[in-house]
Amino acid sequence: MNKKLKFLLFALLSLSVLFVAACGDNEAEEEGTDGNTEEETTDSDSEQDGDAVGDDLDGELVVYSSRNEVFVQALLDKFEEDTGVEVRALHGADPLQVEEEAANVQADIFISNDIGGLEYLNQNGLLQGGEYENVDTIDEQYRAENNEWVAISTRARGFIYNKDMMSEDEVPTKMEDLLDPKWADVENGYVITRGGNGGMIGNVSALRYEWGDEKTAEWVEAIQQNASGILEGHGDIRRAVGSGEYAFGLVNNYYYHQQLEEPTDNNVGFVYADQGEGEMGAIANAAGLGMVEGAPNDENAKAFMDWILQEENQLEFVGESLEVPINPDLDPPFEDAVSVNELQLQDMPLKELGNYFEDTVSLIEDAGLDLELR
Amino acid sequence: MMRDENNKEMHNKKHAKVGEDSSPALLRFINRFWFQMWRGNPPGPILVILGLVVALLMSIPIFYVVWRSIFAGADSWLRLLDGRIPQLLWNTLSLTVAVTVAAVVIGVTLAWIVIRTDLPGKKAWQWLLALPLVIPPYVGAVTYIIVFGRSGWARDVWESIPFFTAILGDYNLNIYSFFGVFLVLTMFTYPYVFLIVSASLRRMNKNYEEVARSQGFSTAQVFWKVNLPMLRPAIGAGAILISLYVLSDFGAIAMLRYVTFTAAIYFQRASFDTASASVLSLVLILLTMVILWIEVISRKKSKYYQTANTFREPDTLALGKWKPLAIIYVSVVFFFSVFLPIAVLIYWTSIGIGLDALDSRFFEYAWNSVKVSGLAALAAMILSLPVIYLKSRYPSPISTAIDKMSYAGYALPGVIVALGMVFIFNTHIPSLYNTFYVIIIAFVIRFLPQAMQAGEASLSLVSPRIDEAARSLGSPPWKVMVKVILPSIMPGVLAGGALVFVSSIKELPATLMLRPPGFDTLAVRVYYNASEAIYYQAAPGALLIVLVSLIPLRYLLKKY
Repeated sequence: MNKKLKFLLFALLSLSVLFVAACGDNEAEEEGTDGNTEEETTDSDSEQDGDAVGDDLDGELVVYSSRNEVFVQALLDKFEEDTGVEVRALHGADPLQVEEEAANVQADIFISNDIGGLEYLNQNGLLQGGEYENVDTIDEQYRAENNEWVAISTRARGFIYNKDMMSEDEVPTKMEDLLDPKWADVENGYVITRGGNGGMIGNVSALRYEWGDEKTAEWVEAIQQNASGILEGHGDIRRAVGSGEYAFGLVNNYYYHQQLEEPTDNNVGFVYADQGEGEMGAIANAAGLGMVEGAPNDENAKAFMDWILQEENQLEFVGESLEVPINPDLDPPFEDAVSVNELQLQDMPLKELGNYFEDTVSLIEDAGLDLELR
Repeated sequence: MMRDENNKEMHNKKHAKVGEDSSPALLRFINRFWFQMWRGNPPGPILVILGLVVALLMSIPIFYVVWRSIFAGADSWLRLLDGRIPQLLWNTLSLTVAVTVAAVVIGVTLAWIVIRTDLPGKKAWQWLLALPLVIPPYVGAVTYIIVFGRSGWARDVWESIPFFTAILGDYNLNIYSFFGVFLVLTMFTYPYVFLIVSASLRRMNKNYEEVARSQGFSTAQVFWKVNLPMLRPAIGAGAILISLYVLSDFGAIAMLRYVTFTAAIYFQRASFDTASASVLSLVLILLTMVILWIEVISRKKSKYYQTANTFREPDTLALGKWKPLAIIYVSVVFFFSVFLPIAVLIYWTSIGIGLDALDSRFFEYAWNSVKVSGLAALAAMILSLPVIYLKSRYPSPISTAIDKMSYAGYALPGVIVALGMVFIFNTHIPSLYNTFYVIIIAFVIRFLPQAMQAGEASLSLVSPRIDEAARSLGSPPWKVMVKVILPSIMPGVLAGGALVFVSSIKELPATLMLRPPGFDTLAVRVYYNASEAIYYQAAPGALLIVLVSLIPLRYLLKKY
């Protein structure tokens, strides 16, 4: 036995030595590709045709994304396939990481679930603009002034509920309803996400815009006290409501679409919030992306922006998330999706979210909702 | 004798220095001080510098976190002290105490039953019951969520039995609760106590028990009055290991939606509130130090002696009518801590293989894991050498300090090490920031002492005379270490490397916080897939981690 162990350990050691050698090779390769990208910068400027995006590209692209990995990875794989650029992705990134790395920029592209985060980065000069092919397909209110960020898909917030546990008229109809502690007494209760979640941050920002800070803080406190579940993400919520763990939950509409497509636990309904006469309208947000100022692979980043604005790739961005594309010419991948035009939406311009981002984060922290899980 | 020699040597030196410009008095003072510190036998400068560099490397991240927390600003401190810290303290301490107590009870009773009674198959139980050690608690947590979650197997079983639903109502176990975290952590940490107490029970002398029995003590009284007090050091050592583990665990706790200091630091960091993260880290460092301090105190107070020369192995007690109960108890623990999790993993792995979960990505993650862990093991083996060599051959306050500093990252939770490294690399060493080398360094900082302990054990078997012989032939100490000592302690060093390798493969929080874009490891994928409820993708990776962890089990079993 002792001999065996020794042999195993020896094998381990020699393997590790091999790794060292392998790593050395990697480094050499990386240096080589760096050189290539620099050469590329000179001649790919002329390539502006949508179809030619990706020709003559090389090297890598670093993407930070705060969107669910399942939606983003397929998109990045497609880009890799179309262009040959190696994409290195960091999923679950926070916009503030881009800010922290401002002196040592790592990311080329930031993909966000929350326009507030993108506009916050933009206001701090951490994103760079550009003129992209086909950017006109996106309405101006869904872009930053110089396209520092561009939104591709949109969603509205509301309540997903389990039809076995409650009927549509028992579900709350507006955000304000949640101030009432009676919702704690619904059988199995309701569920929200952790306050660190991008969607929740956008939601709280919108309420601050509508109500001011005091009432919003009350609201945050109320949901924190009365919710039976506080989960890490919205995907957890739709699964938990679908399986009957909770009666209803606060999510974006596309999570409802996703749950409907599940093979089981799919008897769920959805109520768009605040649709009544004189009410504020459903809180909308969008998902989009921006190019990071000082991006180390800026040529590839520009190419990525051009590429993603091609219509087929806009649809790919929406992908399995089943959100509604902002481009009105595109059919939503989820056929029965309620179009944005048919909804009564809150009248806040999405750019405003950037002004609210920082204070919203501290309001949520003061309430302690960012750390609560249950 | 030694002193005389020193004096003589210094005397000579003094003569040599007469007439020089520099201050001979000061030099002489430093020289004497240096000699005294090393008890007249100073190692060469190369060795000392090597040791110091390692020690600094190991402890800098921690000092950096402390430094940052002190300058976090009164504002952050007040806000946290006011709202967050009391709640976190309660969450953390209640969990730590509950898990430690439960694990001690389970560990001691199991050890006593397995070692001292005529339980059928006791040899097999000795290692079967240690097996939970190879299942990282976050993997255990995944399997418990699959089984006991609200839409898990247990619910289906429950609802298929009308008796349960009729009498006890709907399935109502919430795994995402204090109880869930408590259950998972207890089930996967009790082996620490079990192993240590087993070893101690095996060494226990029959004589004491016989005296007690001759005074008319029953078996139960013997256990409480003789066995248990004798076991106190072993129980204490196990309890300390477990409470340190609970303080540092991130994966299982986060998956089961509980928030302790470690999870809070991770989430604060993930939302880039670094000031708060470092403040919370300081509190956690203090908590850890309190536990270590308790250990030191309890060691000093208690002295237990076993008389070696009259050692007689104690009798095996007959279980009698208790036999069925003992078998059930042992089996239940085994079922929940080993059989169930492994069965779940195998089941979902087979589904995963059917669904093509073992694609090229999976192997890329596995390769990444092996790459960083292998390099970390190699680095740890090399870096541990000067530290253990200094400690063993040149005992002095300096080598003790180097040794202690090397333990800093081992005793403290991984999130704190990672936090310190993010600070340091992003601000001061940007060229390495966001490369996988940072992960390797974090692993070395976290697990170097495992390599040191294994190496030390081997080194203590090599006579210092061999060193002296080599020194007398004119080699400097560092050369003696590399050329003469290293070959003879190689098995121990390699065993240490294997331990580091396995710990690194399992490591979660530091990897999560430090991984560069596009560089995920198996542990990270298991965590991600499990939190997204994609179990068929989580299971193969988790199973692989468990299998790799089996490698050093034999060594661990022998150690205790």
